[in-house]
Amino acid sequence: MITYPRYLARQSEPQSLLIGLGNAGINIMDRLISQAGFPMESLAINTDQQSISNTLASKKISMGQMTTHGLGTGGDPEIGLDAAKESAGEIQRAIAGANIIFICAGLGGGTGSGAAPLLAEMAKQNGSLVIAVVTSPFSFEGRRRSQQAAASLRDITRFADAILHFENDRMSELIEPHAEVRETFAICDNLLFRSISSLNRIVTSTGPIPVSVPDMLTVLRHSDDSCLFGCGEANGENRGHHALESALRSPLLDRGRLLHDAGRLLVHISGPPSLSMEEVSEIMREISNNLSPSAMLNLGVSATHDHSSPLTVAIIGRCGAAKRTSVPAKVTPDLAALTQSQPTVPPASKPEQIEAPFFEMPVAHTAHPPEKAPAPKVLQPLLPLDPVTRGRFDKIEPTIVEGQDLDVPTFLRMKLKK
Amino acid sequence: MAREKIHVGLEIGTTKVCAVVAECRRDGEVRLLGVGESPSRGVRKGEIVDFQNASNCVHDALSDAEERSDHEIKSVWLAVTGSHIESSNHRRSVTIEGGGEITEKEIEDIASKDKEVSLPKDNDILHSILQQYYVDGREGVIDPIGIGGSKLEADYHIIHGVVNRIQSTIRCVRKIGIDVEDVVVNSVASAHTILDDQKKASGVVVIDIGGGVTDYIVYENGAVRQSGVIAIGGDHITNDLCIGLRIPITRAEKLKIEEGSAILENLSGTEKITLKNDTGFSGKEIDRSMLNLIIHSRLHELFGILRNRIQEVVPIHLLGSGIILTGGCSLIKGVREVAESVFEVPVHFAHAQSITGPTSAFDNPQLSTCIGLVKYAHAVDADAPQESFLNRFISSITRKLHLI
Repeated sequence: MITYPRYLARQSEPQSLLIGLGNAGINIMDRLISQAGFPMESLAINTDQQSISNTLASKKISMGQMTTHGLGTGGDPEIGLDAAKESAGEIQRAIAGANIIFICAGLGGGTGSGAAPLLAEMAKQNGSLVIAVVTSPFSFEGRRRSQQAAASLRDITRFADAILHFENDRMSELIEPHAEVRETFAICDNLLFRSISSLNRIVTSTGPIPVSVPDMLTVLRHSDDSCLFGCGEANGENRGHHALESALRSPLLDRGRLLHDAGRLLVHISGPPSLSMEEVSEIMREISNNLSPSAMLNLGVSATHDHSSPLTVAIIGRCGAAKRTSVPAKVTPDLAALTQSQPTVPPASKPEQIEAPFFEMPVAHTAHPPEKAPAPKVLQPLLPLDPVTRGRFDKIEPTIVEGQDLDVPTFLRMKLKK
Repeated sequence: MAREKIHVGLEIGTTKVCAVVAECRRDGEVRLLGVGESPSRGVRKGEIVDFQNASNCVHDALSDAEERSDHEIKSVWLAVTGSHIESSNHRRSVTIEGGGEITEKEIEDIASKDKEVSLPKDNDILHSILQQYYVDGREGVIDPIGIGGSKLEADYHIIHGVVNRIQSTIRCVRKIGIDVEDVVVNSVASAHTILDDQKKASGVVVIDIGGGVTDYIVYENGAVRQSGVIAIGGDHITNDLCIGLRIPITRAEKLKIEEGSAILENLSGTEKITLKNDTGFSGKEIDRSMLNLIIHSRLHELFGILRNRIQEVVPIHLLGSGIILTGGCSLIKGVREVAESVFEVPVHFAHAQSITGPTSAFDNPQLSTCIGLVKYAHAVDADAPQESFLNRFISSITRKLHLI
């Protein structure tokens, strides 16, 4: 049985604090703060004096004045760590009193990778619930940065209660190949922003069906590399379906494919007062259709008082494959490699198959499908749950019966179920 | 000489707009005068998405029909469909005042209780169809007038839809200066063409698979038990082929019509279909097995959904007259075999009942809704006392729809 620190039960009004660490972290934080009505306290921590002075955060710490002279770390995590050690006292004072701390950082550089583990440790010692939201660098940024990110992530895992880890490589799949660089980073930031705000919404919202912090932690605990996350929002007609569709499109869900592997899933639906039970059940039906039958599902529903707010669906999950948490460092790289390599090699990318139909199934085999491959892979990609496959029905109201989008060709959906 | 009345039925389908002009005689005979058709544009899943285009198509079809029938069309009976159309069964009751004999007043009272049915707020009733009466709990009363009792109950089948969406179809016709007499749900119209009383009594399902949607209606013991619309039709098959075989949508449509088949048995597995090159399409060879499998999967699934829905209200094997298929998609080869394997009861194709005129139209399942509209109109005209009030009521609803 998992026990939870008493503060979670004692405190009725959670005090959340968002820490932006390093340039990337601060960028994301600024984006969050600039949203109207953002409810959290914010704290910017950086070694680079300039970025500190521009941030919107209410509290700022320019750490490691002695170590870096306010000029940044130059990409060296050692310096980042030293700087954090130097300013440990200041940081400690700043985080005291917060009981939920979001640490937002881009790993791979100096400040983020170096200071994040120490920050997580301090936050933990402070008795807070620590949720780390981190990105790892693009592979084209070089091996060194990837290694620094991986090492740092490993250390953070030891202290953080929950980690949402976004791989920039995967996120860039969302983006068109010709997108501008600025746009690419903006989209990545935006995903992080959405994840933090939905986590915060989940923790703080009260609604007809609230999600307790322990519920969320069970889903996120030790979720390291195989964390599943998707968030989507929509307005207007059919908003439930569209919100879910865009949530599934999240790269961390691998376009919905990874839902099959989810062992535990937390779904949070929030919306304007007009949010109807039918919309909730429609969304849940669609999700459970894609889930494995053994998966645990937690549902949270909340309604805001704002009539103009969109309907939001957030999906947070953890892969079902039970992993030995005692040696996470050994397991994660393999999984990381697996998850990373799969999406880049989608099933149709074999050159000779490009012209072939989506699937080839000899008629004689329909009654009893071909023998299963000898070694079933955990993350064997299925056909993508891509909205593109709706073809000419893309723009019009979907036909949803028994939770299935029937505009997607039947044969594709049948294939998906296998 | 009996007074003869000419009715026009208009269906704005997803594939084509079709208008039927027919003469209804007093003796019950309906004589077809002409059929006008126009390929449909701007309609998806049975509903108008491009108003201007759809309106033009309606105009084309109506002028075609005018030309062929030599009759000036002033008003039409309009078929409506779409995924928003739903149905439910309701029971209502009235207490019998005074002497305990049921009179027409009680019948009217019970029929006017439509207002009490709770519907979603955007919806309104399209049809309110009587299923049966109960007198003091005794069921199966067909004509309760004159029977004594203290409580009269009745089961009604209510078909309702979203007012705005129905109105947009009506507006499309009125825009070109044609009046709409009434709107009739597709499945109700089709049933009028296809079913006779004997079939309705023994139990039957009519499945009308059109271009954009599939309408169905279930009769048992002479009364409508269930009806509905599933927004799946021939367009979906075309779309499946387009995606599955990677061919352009126009070519997929042609392939479906020319070669489409849902038969999986006795296929060699190697048979190829050669698509000739066309403007913008550089020819291709396609596996027959692949083509059939895609169509089969879609139809199999569609029938599966229908089976589940029908089975909610009545066991399918108790339907004595089985399943009747109509609509453009029932022309696909092998559709009957797929339906039989799913429903496990005999499956037939529709034949229009008791109608005379140019013969080519009778057996064309694409026209069953339109002809049904005319027959429906004819039935409304006919002096059936217990129906006339109902229809008066329906048309009052329709008028309301027009006025809003």
